[in-house]
Amino acid sequence: MAANWAERISTFSRSPSAFLSRTTAEGFLAELLRELRDDRASYSVKVLLLSPLCEHPTLLCPSDSVGDETALELMSVLDQCPPKSAQFRCHLLLALTTVLICTDCVSVRSRASQDFLDLLLRLAQDTGDLQGDGALRSLRATACDCLRELEACSPGLLSQRLELLGGLRQRETTRLHQAYAGLHTLVLRNAVYRLTQDAGAGAEHLKALLGGNTSVAWEAELDSGPLCDKDPSAILSSLILGPMGTVPTLQTGPDCKELRSVLSSLLEESYLLTPLCQAALLHRLTEVVAMVPGVPPAVFRAQLLRLLGTSECAFTDSLFSAEDEAFVLQRLVVLSQHPLLSAPDKLFYMDCLLHFPENRPIGETLPVLLTPRLASALAPTVFNDGATALARLNLLSLVYLEEAEDGEGEESKGLAFLYEHLASLLRVVANGGGREIVVAFFRAAFLFLLHFSHVERYRRRLTEELCTLYLRHAHLAPHVVNLADRAQDKLAESGWAVAFLRALQGAVIDAPLVSRDLRWHLKALARVAEEGEIRQEGTVGFLSGVIAPSPSSLCAAGDWRLGNGVLGVCRRLLVHPSLDALLLPLADVLLHLARHYGDADIRDHARLYYALLTTLSREKLAGVLAQGSAEGGRQVAKRSLSCIMAESEGLASTLTVHRTEGAIFELIEARSEFPREEASDPRQIEASPTEAGAALEEYRAQFLVPGFASEITLTYRLTHVVSDPRFDRLFSVRLHFGLTDDHYEELGDVSVPCLMRGRPPPEVRLRLKPRRPFPTTLHASAIFTTQDGLTWLTVLPHVRVAFRQAFAPLPAPPAWGSGGRRSLFEALWEEMGAGSEEEPADCAASLFCCRLPDGALAALVEEHFAPFLISEPSEVEEVKVLFFLPPRSHVLLKIRPGDPVHFDVAADNWQLLRHLNAYLLTITSSQEDT
Amino acid sequence: MAVRALWIISHEKGDNASVRFTRRFATVEHRAKGLAGSSYVAVPEDASVLQLLLTEMGLSDSDKSYVALRDDCLHRQRSPALELHVDGPGKGILWPVLAISHGPLTLVCLSLVDAPAEPRPPLASLLSVSQGLTLLAGLQTFLLGSGGKPDNEVLASRLAALPSVLLQVCPLGTPLDVPLSGPPATSAVPTPAGNQKQPAWKTGLHRGRAAVNVALKETVRSMQYGDRSRQDLWDVYGTVTCKCDVEGILPNVTMTLTLPPNGSPLQDILVHPCVSSLDSCILSASSVDHCDGSAFSGPYKFPFSPPLEPFRLCSYTSQVPVPPILGSYQLREEENQLRVSVNLKLHESVKNSFEYCEAHLPFFNRDQMGVVDVKVSSGQTDVSKEKNLLPENFNPKSTSYGIRLELLRFPLG
Repeated sequence: MAANWAERISTFSRSPSAFLSRTTAEGFLAELLRELRDDRASYSVKVLLLSPLCEHPTLLCPSDSVGDETALELMSVLDQCPPKSAQFRCHLLLALTTVLICTDCVSVRSRASQDFLDLLLRLAQDTGDLQGDGALRSLRATACDCLRELEACSPGLLSQRLELLGGLRQRETTRLHQAYAGLHTLVLRNAVYRLTQDAGAGAEHLKALLGGNTSVAWEAELDSGPLCDKDPSAILSSLILGPMGTVPTLQTGPDCKELRSVLSSLLEESYLLTPLCQAALLHRLTEVVAMVPGVPPAVFRAQLLRLLGTSECAFTDSLFSAEDEAFVLQRLVVLSQHPLLSAPDKLFYMDCLLHFPENRPIGETLPVLLTPRLASALAPTVFNDGATALARLNLLSLVYLEEAEDGEGEESKGLAFLYEHLASLLRVVANGGGREIVVAFFRAAFLFLLHFSHVERYRRRLTEELCTLYLRHAHLAPHVVNLADRAQDKLAESGWAVAFLRALQGAVIDAPLVSRDLRWHLKALARVAEEGEIRQEGTVGFLSGVIAPSPSSLCAAGDWRLGNGVLGVCRRLLVHPSLDALLLPLADVLLHLARHYGDADIRDHARLYYALLTTLSREKLAGVLAQGSAEGGRQVAKRSLSCIMAESEGLASTLTVHRTEGAIFELIEARSEFPREEASDPRQIEASPTEAGAALEEYRAQFLVPGFASEITLTYRLTHVVSDPRFDRLFSVRLHFGLTDDHYEELGDVSVPCLMRGRPPPEVRLRLKPRRPFPTTLHASAIFTTQDGLTWLTVLPHVRVAFRQAFAPLPAPPAWGSGGRRSLFEALWEEMGAGSEEEPADCAASLFCCRLPDGALAALVEEHFAPFLISEPSEVEEVKVLFFLPPRSHVLLKIRPGDPVHFDVAADNWQLLRHLNAYLLTITSSQEDT
Repeated sequence: MAVRALWIISHEKGDNASVRFTRRFATVEHRAKGLAGSSYVAVPEDASVLQLLLTEMGLSDSDKSYVALRDDCLHRQRSPALELHVDGPGKGILWPVLAISHGPLTLVCLSLVDAPAEPRPPLASLLSVSQGLTLLAGLQTFLLGSGGKPDNEVLASRLAALPSVLLQVCPLGTPLDVPLSGPPATSAVPTPAGNQKQPAWKTGLHRGRAAVNVALKETVRSMQYGDRSRQDLWDVYGTVTCKCDVEGILPNVTMTLTLPPNGSPLQDILVHPCVSSLDSCILSASSVDHCDGSAFSGPYKFPFSPPLEPFRLCSYTSQVPVPPILGSYQLREEENQLRVSVNLKLHESVKNSFEYCEAHLPFFNRDQMGVVDVKVSSGQTDVSKEKNLLPENFNPKSTSYGIRLELLRFPLG
């Protein structure tokens, strides 16, 4: 079983949605809790069982009430857990914290969360373990961690406990003081923040808060609740970030001894914390000092001096002199290139350089104090890994950009150096560098262009060298095209992309053709043909040359892909602004393709293009080819069903099944109409048996026929949920249903031809074949097509099948009249032992009583039991009802009016009683209300 | 200040990728939801995260030369914080995702952004980013050891220990410490009650004889072109590692490093957080600052209170006028075989005080060498042809100029 759990838990965490599609969240949660309470399960397995609750609490506890119940269960598990399994107890505390926070129980101060908070505070104060073993200590530390998380998620929760926590921290001499320090600092920070939000608060309030002699009683805290700001995320946000001046402040005057003494005691002991905790502590205290102008930032000085020697760094404002800043900056440069630091660390420090605090409002710019000489330590080399080289290139580009602007006219050495770096990368690529270096080069080239596309000399050189590179390695065409695309998006005004593409066109056309490069050339030329500004005669000439008859002619080989490539260029030329000048040669190319190409598909397409070109006016041609508006000179294709597509353009989105973001429609239950019992025709001879035993026998005989009365049919209406005009008209909706348990047989798919907003919702009939007629939940999803031809997959809200929906009228032989039914009822009643002392196996009898107002019973019977009535509607002394639940269960009711009303129940499956009870409770209570 | 989720994935250059460990911190996710408001992007399931990560790191579809999503030149790969572009329902960008790789193992975490999402805050002001990087580096050391590559079983057992390790070092997603690598110090005893607080980074107390062990490791990296027109490159860096067995809760130890005569000054000194104070001369000696002619040349004093386990007291770089060993190799094709000749030489100015010298010539992706035919110009050598390495042990003491050896190797048939 243990191994089984390990596997199940790992399946769950790998894909919770897939796991829960085979069961229900309630079911899984119940199983987990049952196993956690099971004494036989080992604690290592139990720790494992907690992980779904720790990682996906909201999936398992969808509402705060479920969360509250789960937390109470977990707390009872904690109560019964022996102290020696400390590890499990710690994990339990974490799971409890997670469940309570994530289901919002803490923010609404639910009962369980209050109990848990008390428990944690008790654990945190339980210092009885001073001489004890290490296990209890870790429980205490975990309790502090949980308290800190509660305070972090509900800021202000522990504000009233500030003095208590401070005391605990100061008294603690074991390593645990770190846990208390973290908790204390966070609570202090949130408490001070809370005071800043209070207009009247000042030094006195701060003193009172720190001294613990607050006038606010503990009980009152329950009502005050955590901070309810207009923007609840404000207090959660770091205060270090915002521009100075947006930090809320607390005016205390220069004298705030108490706060200063707390701060200095925390700072003094910060040396005793792990580096990670020191950083967090300083961060929190910086926020406190920022909020209380009465405390000068100089309190940090001693600690910062100590810390700057290490690789941990912290920034604060208005604390450093210019020399200090220069020193910190120099230190950052050192750290950015230190050979003993890892690559991500160095990238991080380089990022810090670009966002040095002095520049905060400006964004990514260089600090004034970073001189080209200092920055030269960060010059990129070909030995850097891709990311580092790019980061260095970016940084130095900014440095030399400034230099170039300052020293107008004189040639920048730095720029020359950067270009040389780019050129050496290019040489590596030209010599057959691997994929990574190719990608790194194109990124570096883009970065260089981004900063220096205005420097005529280098942009020309880069263009030339890229063209040479392309001719040597035509397979780089996708990279080259991507570079041109991006340069055009980001640097449209510089015009580099167009100039480059023009040069590329020239290079391709003039170079001797190598046949294996042809498909890349076609790709490149297709991109060039998208540019309205570039003349295309050369391209058409190139195409004529390619298809011209020769021994190794393209036409004779009839390669479909290459043919498509040629057509792709032609298609772009058809909508090119200079089409008029191209008309004749292009028509020749198309005609030649249509006549001589070795592939029929290409011939057909070429013929179509030829026909379009020679018969349609330009406007119509553009319309047929569904060309969108020209955007910045580059034509952007829009997809539509009538568009003629070349290659696979836009095909991907038509072939993909898209997923909707939320539910589009749902199934709403329609009231099931059971065929009303025909009033028995007095002229018809009643063929029903009058003797009970015979009736039962005849009735039972029907079930020998396989599949007899084994289905229930549920009727739903498919209704829109959201009003998104895209989904107003849906076609070919195919609904798929999945089971969450094994009470029913698998369901087949259901098709609905169309679903239109504004028309009556179509009816969907679900034929369920129960194995056991219990309530269940069905997963439902649907695939459908929208008007624009796209195919979508959507998930519908779960379909819940209630117990009452499993009811069917008695499948009595059709010839029977009411007499036969009565006999059968009595026979079944006898058999189920409701009349006798002994009940056969599985059968059960029960009694349900309730008070109903006068006349309510009749309404109840009419409303809920009419299709299942065995007695005549006029008989009010004893109403007999029979529910048949396919495949072969029966529930019989004899209802006697009175005060209270008696419902005598007999069933041939005792497991149904639980559901029946819930059902009767629901219907009778709703009747009471009315 | 916290991480939303943590993944450990293994892959072979992008192939056979799998998620070896995941931990999602639901309470941090809860905070992330509150902080981000309507721009909140949920973390997708592991399979999608894995795919997105590989794409982002340029490792997906290693058989294709160009994939638009992976190779776009606009891609900002120059930051340590990656973006995951989540598609489908709940689409958006997950940021900042931190990743560190070593060999086949990549450790990844998603940090909490406790600031308005737009404009994107600089990394320096997100404590969770530097905390995340430290945590990942610590976990990496724990999983892989300080430099070595553990075999699969060791790795699996360490991965299995992660839940309890995370309970200690990162409960509820808040990094508190890095895991102890290696076994805990054996002589440690629990702290007695007293007034002096015990440092959180010290698991116990040492009882017994006092001993301080110091190890110094210095590395010279050199790129030698063997070409007068190009300048050779080299750099030097070193670390001082300590293991201190000293009694007391916060004992004070001071270590003083002095340079040998004519030694080059230390620069770019980084010290362990346990160092309590540093002379500003030590701090400001840096390789990037060319203006200061009178470099500080020691003695270097490091007062500290040691943790129990071995730790890196300081690391530094230095600038030496010449590389100690000059080496070059040549690879020539001769008929149907390749000839490798290696030339190693001590620099004239370097005093020969080496105990031994080992040279490795790795030949990746090749079979064993067919023939090893070594001609050594001087000294003794010992050549191994296994694993395609050629470690040569020679005693440079026997010669003042170095060795020359020639090896023959058959190319693959």
